[in-house]
Amino acid sequence: MSNPTTTRESRVSRTAAMGLMLLLAVYFLLPVYFLVVASTKPQGDLAATNGLVFSHFSLFENLRTLFTRSDGIFGRWALNTVLYAVLGAAVGTLISALCGYALAKFTFRGREFLFSVILGGVLVPTTALALPLFLLFSATGLVNTYFAVFLPSIVSPFGVYLARIFANASVPQELIESARLDGAGEFRIFFSVGFRLMTPALVTIFLFQFVAIWNNFFLPMVMLQKESLFPITLGLYEWNGQTARAPLLQESIITGSLVSILPVIVVFILLQRFWRTGLAAGSLK
Amino acid sequence: MSSTVTRTRLAVAAATAGIVVLAGCSSSGSSDKASASSCEPAKGKVTLQYWNTVPGMDKVVDLWNKQHPNVQVEIKNISNDQYGILGNALKANKAPDLAQVGYDELPNLRTQSAFVDASACKAATAAKSKFVPWTWSQTSFGGTGVFAIPQDTGPMALYVRSDLFKKYNVAVPTTWDEYATAAEKLHKADPNLDITFFDPNNAEWFNGLLWQNDAKMYGYSGDKWQVSVDSAQSKQVADYWQKLISEKVVRTDLAHGSTQMYAAYQKDQIATYVGAAWGYSMFRDNLPKQAGKWTIVPMPTWGANGSSGDWGGSTVAFMKGSRHLYESVEFNTWLNSDPDALALENKLGGLYPAATAGLDLPALQQGVPYYDNEKIFDVFADASKKIDTSFAWGPTQKTVNLALQDAMAKAAAGSGTLTDALATAQAAALKSMKDQAIPATAGK
Amino acid sequence: MTDLATRSAGVRTTPGGRRRPNGGGPRAATVAAFVTPFFLPFLLFYLVPVGYALWQSFRVVRRSGGQYGTSYTTFGGFEQYGQVLQNTEFWSSIGRIGLFGIVQVPVMLFVALIIALLLDTPLLRAKGFFRIVAFMPYAVPGVIAAIMWSYLYSPQLSPVVDLLNGIGLHPDFLGPGAVLWSAANVSTWLWTGYNMLIMFSALQSIPQELYEAAKIDGASNWAIAWRIKVPIIAPSIVLTTVFSIIGTLQLYAEPAVLRQISSNISSTFTPNMLAYTVASGNNYQQAAAISVVIAVITFVLSFGFMRLTSKKAGL
Repeated sequence: MSNPTTTRESRVSRTAAMGLMLLLAVYFLLPVYFLVVASTKPQGDLAATNGLVFSHFSLFENLRTLFTRSDGIFGRWALNTVLYAVLGAAVGTLISALCGYALAKFTFRGREFLFSVILGGVLVPTTALALPLFLLFSATGLVNTYFAVFLPSIVSPFGVYLARIFANASVPQELIESARLDGAGEFRIFFSVGFRLMTPALVTIFLFQFVAIWNNFFLPMVMLQKESLFPITLGLYEWNGQTARAPLLQESIITGSLVSILPVIVVFILLQRFWRTGLAAGSLK
Repeated sequence: MSSTVTRTRLAVAAATAGIVVLAGCSSSGSSDKASASSCEPAKGKVTLQYWNTVPGMDKVVDLWNKQHPNVQVEIKNISNDQYGILGNALKANKAPDLAQVGYDELPNLRTQSAFVDASACKAATAAKSKFVPWTWSQTSFGGTGVFAIPQDTGPMALYVRSDLFKKYNVAVPTTWDEYATAAEKLHKADPNLDITFFDPNNAEWFNGLLWQNDAKMYGYSGDKWQVSVDSAQSKQVADYWQKLISEKVVRTDLAHGSTQMYAAYQKDQIATYVGAAWGYSMFRDNLPKQAGKWTIVPMPTWGANGSSGDWGGSTVAFMKGSRHLYESVEFNTWLNSDPDALALENKLGGLYPAATAGLDLPALQQGVPYYDNEKIFDVFADASKKIDTSFAWGPTQKTVNLALQDAMAKAAAGSGTLTDALATAQAAALKSMKDQAIPATAGK
Repeated sequence: MTDLATRSAGVRTTPGGRRRPNGGGPRAATVAAFVTPFFLPFLLFYLVPVGYALWQSFRVVRRSGGQYGTSYTTFGGFEQYGQVLQNTEFWSSIGRIGLFGIVQVPVMLFVALIIALLLDTPLLRAKGFFRIVAFMPYAVPGVIAAIMWSYLYSPQLSPVVDLLNGIGLHPDFLGPGAVLWSAANVSTWLWTGYNMLIMFSALQSIPQELYEAAKIDGASNWAIAWRIKVPIIAPSIVLTTVFSIIGTLQLYAEPAVLRQISSNISSTFTPNMLAYTVASGNNYQQAAAISVVIAVITFVLSFGFMRLTSKKAGL
């Protein structure tokens, strides 16, 4: 934009760049656009009308069906998702921050070893953990409870990794030292100095963990049998498998998908800058 | 009934079930007392646990509970992940007294020591005469005990779009040879029309076809399971469908029960459906515009062999750990043979009864409006009597089904044949049984 | 605490954490209070299951008595691993996912890189909009993305198929040859924006002065992008590659959803699907062995890739 010399080369480039981006934008938007259109249609129009063109508007009808189906189970799933993903990410962020801060700011025996063990955890495929966890949890009676999904979800080695980097980058050692000189305890220092300085970074960690839980379909699938404990993803997957016997579910799957991704998309867009700081820090180390 | 559950979900459900059961074995070393447990009536009031997946079963149980104040039944619906929940409970030693189990899952659960033999109860052994013979043969494991009581079945028949057959002047087939000829004629008359679809991911359905041809997939002799999934009878069925697939007169791109399948029927692209009794409501509910166009006739036969096949259906099993075997038998036999109970189950849950008395239910004697007021259940009742009683499922049926499906999908996609798929399934059967340390060998 | 960590983790990581002299840090109890809230769940829900899976993978099922018998498990050495390595389904799933990764990962990362570079040049307008649009799919869980795309693939429902039919093309997105790439497309759609943002963030943190000189020399935007920017953000590209390798090997939800509408996705389509199919046959021990082998392959590939690139580029 600030380039004053508009050569022919750059005009061609400009057009090419714009064209390419527009094409990609269509690609990224297409499924979501389809979802928006489809969720406004009555079930009968789904197969009968063009999927990219609006027909009879019955979004509100669809929403009512969605939220009243099976005694309002969808609302329950939404609530569960919030509990698993939001609360889980919040707790996870806090413990990651504590651990990462300690790894960054304290010197103690075995620190690097501990860090490399945790870092190794980043590479463990989480799906590989689900089945052994299921066995262990069924031995302790935790299977088919909120905790079966919640507890494993709060652990994020990647969060610790980020927290360590952020703590190193944003909390000056001198501040900690001077707080110590003032006689403050380590926890007090963490919450008054470290936590405050790390806040933008913590939002990033929170977002990462939120997405990880929100995306983790496998763990709830293995752990949960009670529909009332399902997160939205598992619930919609179940419905998607039942369309064979109940094709009317289709409209609810579509509307449910839209209802569940829209708020997340909006929040993501609003919090975009936190992603960028987090990703930059995460990748440059 | 099995079609309500998605395959993948089913696989995981079974996975969890399997894991749980095995884990149970490794920790506690469960024991299968093959000998019958004692059968004493309880003193005082008894509460039974009964887990099932049937819609409306609560109403049926209410009926029992009103009539039997001393034997109260509590039910739990486990239609979501049936075998996962069961396996879980078995592991924790919290299995119910009674649970719904599909016929093809009975041997597997028995190898996991999930059942108790109720044959010490006279009422249990006496119930034999009340059920369609093949069902009893499976729940009694060939007369070696009473591990479950049959509940419903899926006798197979041919659903026919009679209007399309009339339109193209093609006779409704009565043998599989005629069916193949009809397939060609219909496809020639209208290139967009196929006689049916072959869903490679539906081993349960294909097994029903094998069953119809008296294929014996499993036997037991000489202290070993005899595995003959790829027997000559099976191969005959496989070759037949392979030919239809190769000639492209059947569709292979439709999953059973999918929206795509209904859309194809809706668009008059498919003329028949090889289905079970429980399927009648699928068409009625999903293709309302085609009312009056459908009729149901007996399955095409293999030459002079008039047998039919079965696809789906369930039993109510006596689960290990039940403390009230006597009362469980009382309730279980009532549930599955009392005309009032059967009528309710048919009305609310759509069950097609396994009890012979059930076949005479008034509801099953009437014409069905959707099918042009024909008495379609006469066809199913007749089919149900013509099902091979000696057919037996394998102890690793689910694994074999999955292997068969994967290989059938390859065949449908043009690499390999359905006969190859049978060979793959045979190998998978032997291997999975070896993995479970079940002695097995290839049958003659 | 540290001892505990050392003991339980010794299995998996190369031992020999560098020791540091105990400096003027806080007391051990304080350190433990900071570390334990994370490390305890990490131990219970990460390390213990890994150990348990390992233990299971060395067990085999045995059975006593009769046609149905009673099963128990016992130590079986490497029997399960031998079976996994001889299992042709296992190798085909690895081969399939390998092919998937070799094509999908570079394509996705290349597109991500192009978008990131474009967003970092003065060539585009409405950059904020494009950035948001590309990143948006990241907010969609894999299951929902696969459900959305399955509608666009389905021959009976898809407007895209209708459109292509209209111009004389008859694509079969769910056919035996195409379905792998249809699954790859879902992954690409989901993750391109995320990878783009990693690269873009790295680009943004490059000090402008680094290429002011090149600009004055009249270097084109392309030249600056390829000769200066890309080498600088190479570590981010390596990182996104490693994450993509891990993600590819774990693939499950997307093909599982597509399997609901296509028989061309088998029950053993990806290594993870194979593991669960094997578990569904009550063969949990072998499923554990498969999981361990997948984890080892993941380790080898991601570490190997990092090693390779860091040696080459001297990063």
